[in-house]
Amino acid sequence: MRETIQIIDNQSGEPVDAEIFDEVALAHFIETQAEWRPVVLAAARALSQQPNQGFLIPRHFHWDWTRKEAELKLLAVKFYGLACEGKLQGIMKVETVAHSCRLPEQQGKPLVYIDYVESAPWNIKKLMTALGQPQRFRAVGTRLFEAAVLQSQEEGFRGRLGLHSLPGSEGFYINECGMTPVGRDPHKQNLLWCEFTPEQAERYLAGE
Amino acid sequence: MNPKRTMTLNLTDQEMSVLDQLSVQKDLSKTALIRQALRLYQLVDARITRGEKLFFEDQDKQKAELMVL
Amino acid sequence: MKFNKDRNWLIKRAEQEDQHFISVGGLISRIDPEWQADVSSVPNVEATKTAFVRLLQLARRERRLSLEQLAQKTDVDLGELVKIESDESFKPTPRTIHRLAEFLKLPAKKLMVLAGLLQVKDFGLQQASVRFAARSEPVEDVSPEEHAALEEYVKFLNEQ
Repeated sequence: MRETIQIIDNQSGEPVDAEIFDEVALAHFIETQAEWRPVVLAAARALSQQPNQGFLIPRHFHWDWTRKEAELKLLAVKFYGLACEGKLQGIMKVETVAHSCRLPEQQGKPLVYIDYVESAPWNIKKLMTALGQPQRFRAVGTRLFEAAVLQSQEEGFRGRLGLHSLPGSEGFYINECGMTPVGRDPHKQNLLWCEFTPEQAERYLAGE
Repeated sequence: MNPKRTMTLNLTDQEMSVLDQLSVQKDLSKTALIRQALRLYQLVDARITRGEKLFFEDQDKQKAELMVL
Repeated sequence: MKFNKDRNWLIKRAEQEDQHFISVGGLISRIDPEWQADVSSVPNVEATKTAFVRLLQLARRERRLSLEQLAQKTDVDLGELVKIESDESFKPTPRTIHRLAEFLKLPAKKLMVLAGLLQVKDFGLQQASVRFAARSEPVEDVSPEEHAALEEYVKFLNEQ
């Protein structure tokens, strides 16, 4: 799958063409480590100088890069990449089998689980502000999130979606996206499990 | 999306009945359900091949081992 | 896939995304251990830890707050606050430190050092912590001496 979609170029403020694809290769992961990590580290150091940034640098999952290659072959796992100007701007991993709905009204029904979604650090406003630089692109995370919802609809899961939100993003997923907060998961460092019903997914896609 | 190929599935009455029931329960088409089953099978098999073990844990927190061959 | 083609939808979503860290997992969530690791260790960790606990206790008592009330005010787990005050080896979470820093109006990074979450070579901080720990013994009311010691320590921590 490879499609052209729009993201926003921060400099012009206008939509520009980008590519979203699911043929993600190991080289893409290596690229994120090599290119993104130093920028994230620099921004984290800058942020740590500022007062009251507790939520922004949480200590959570250990993401095992060595397992990624094996996961590329699994039907249950799907990776999405978003590229613009020949560079990877965002990456996402979704999973369709190991998790199911927890909301009582749809308990046990399948959903698309977002295991991982991240924009390149130069696209994240809070990080770039800390470094005193402008963002490059906007709405990258949004497009990946949208792809996950669309996948859920295409699979026949009717838009049902689940994820464990980091503490600093809870407001975003609950208030802006309209997900239902279900509860803190003791098996996932007490992160908040957020879920979409089919109606909520529709409303999100339509922009309500 | 990816090009698809068609396959005919021969199931017993009982198997068909289970497929129907699970479809309703999971709010999935029969095709989507079979697809989920295949994904689950591959995922479990991959991890067991790697040497991991799959367990069920009952209400009393007693583990019983389930192996998929 | 039918991605939304509406320009206004995209701009609105971009604005929402920019207000938050919307990453799930990822590099940002792994950063914490990374930047803690690359500084050399400091002797006399006990003094800073004691100073941290005393600081909390005195600040709390000055404001006439029980642990429960403090937990409520700062939206921190009560169990964790109890452990901080009673268990020497206990390491609070960074989130808790930041909430406490906010409440006490103190620099979070300095509190992280005191609580043992960060290791930084700062002998000035060491000295001040040892002094404060020595001068602040847990008693019923905050004595004038304790009050003075607390004021001096807080002033020191706030200086950059």
